[in-house]
Amino acid sequence: MAETATTSTAVSWTQHGAWADIAQAGQLGAAGPAGVTAILQGGFGLATLIATPGGAPALSGLVESRTGITLPATPTIVSGASHDAIWSGPEQWLLRAATHDGFAELLEALSVQAAVSEQSDARAAVRLSGPQIRDALAKGVMLDLHPAAFAVGDTALTSIAHIGVHLWRLTDEPDGSVFEIMVARSMVGSFWSWFAASAAEFGCQVSIDRSTGRG
Amino acid sequence: MRITCPHCGARDAQEFSYLGAADPKRPEGMAASEAAMATYVYQRDNPAGVHRELWYHGAGCHAWLVVSRDTRTHAITAVEPAKARKAGATA
Ligand SMILES: [Zn+2]
Repeated sequence: MAETATTSTAVSWTQHGAWADIAQAGQLGAAGPAGVTAILQGGFGLATLIATPGGAPALSGLVESRTGITLPATPTIVSGASHDAIWSGPEQWLLRAATHDGFAELLEALSVQAAVSEQSDARAAVRLSGPQIRDALAKGVMLDLHPAAFAVGDTALTSIAHIGVHLWRLTDEPDGSVFEIMVARSMVGSFWSWFAASAAEFGCQVSIDRSTGRG
Repeated sequence: MRITCPHCGARDAQEFSYLGAADPKRPEGMAASEAAMATYVYQRDNPAGVHRELWYHGAGCHAWLVVSRDTRTHAITAVEPAKARKAGATA
């Protein structure tokens, strides 16, 4: 009896990605060459770091000694070989790791200098690019995302269609700007509803990157 | 109206929540008289001109800000983190 119960529990606990049952790989909206490309991210480690009062420099030093990246003091993202530090408010950051390997141990080490909260399964991320990505985002983003106003590496906390989002600009591709948007996992359905409707007229190629959290 | 958050930059007022006058100070705990508490809770100036007021950047960095706004024109002349004021760093 006990064995049967264990087996049934094991079967019911299956991994369920943040985008599962919400977004699918394939072409969305207009046919033909896609004006927008969306790559659904998964598999990354994520945590919030909040420095103790006056403790930001020490925390940044500790993060640097462990990951090679420093914590930005302005709304920007600092990326290293395996980790990103993303500004998320005064003396607050998101720390993202490409994989979960060693992430729990890293957070344990950082907790001496910061309030650390593991968020790996609490957010969903999507990497957005393509020649018409800014036209699609302009339907909901209140910020000016023109390259002259929003530089590579800039990040912003704002809202799209009343949904809180965290967005940043990655290195350009030949066909234009590249952005990444992170939303609370509970809002992914609403976010995708907005995004799919906004990107449809341009044609959107959707794919899934399950391997890492990095675009 | 746009508010230039000292942390995030210029943002639509929709990203912020308004609290009210920034300067009323809560009287000291249990020692306060009923009259002093009533004044603190209910009495507000209603200036036609510059007003110092609290705004919360709820859709952004989650910081409380002290905004100096002209109630006649919505012209904003200063935005400071409320935290700095609380710590005594600014008036
Ligand atoms: Zn802000």
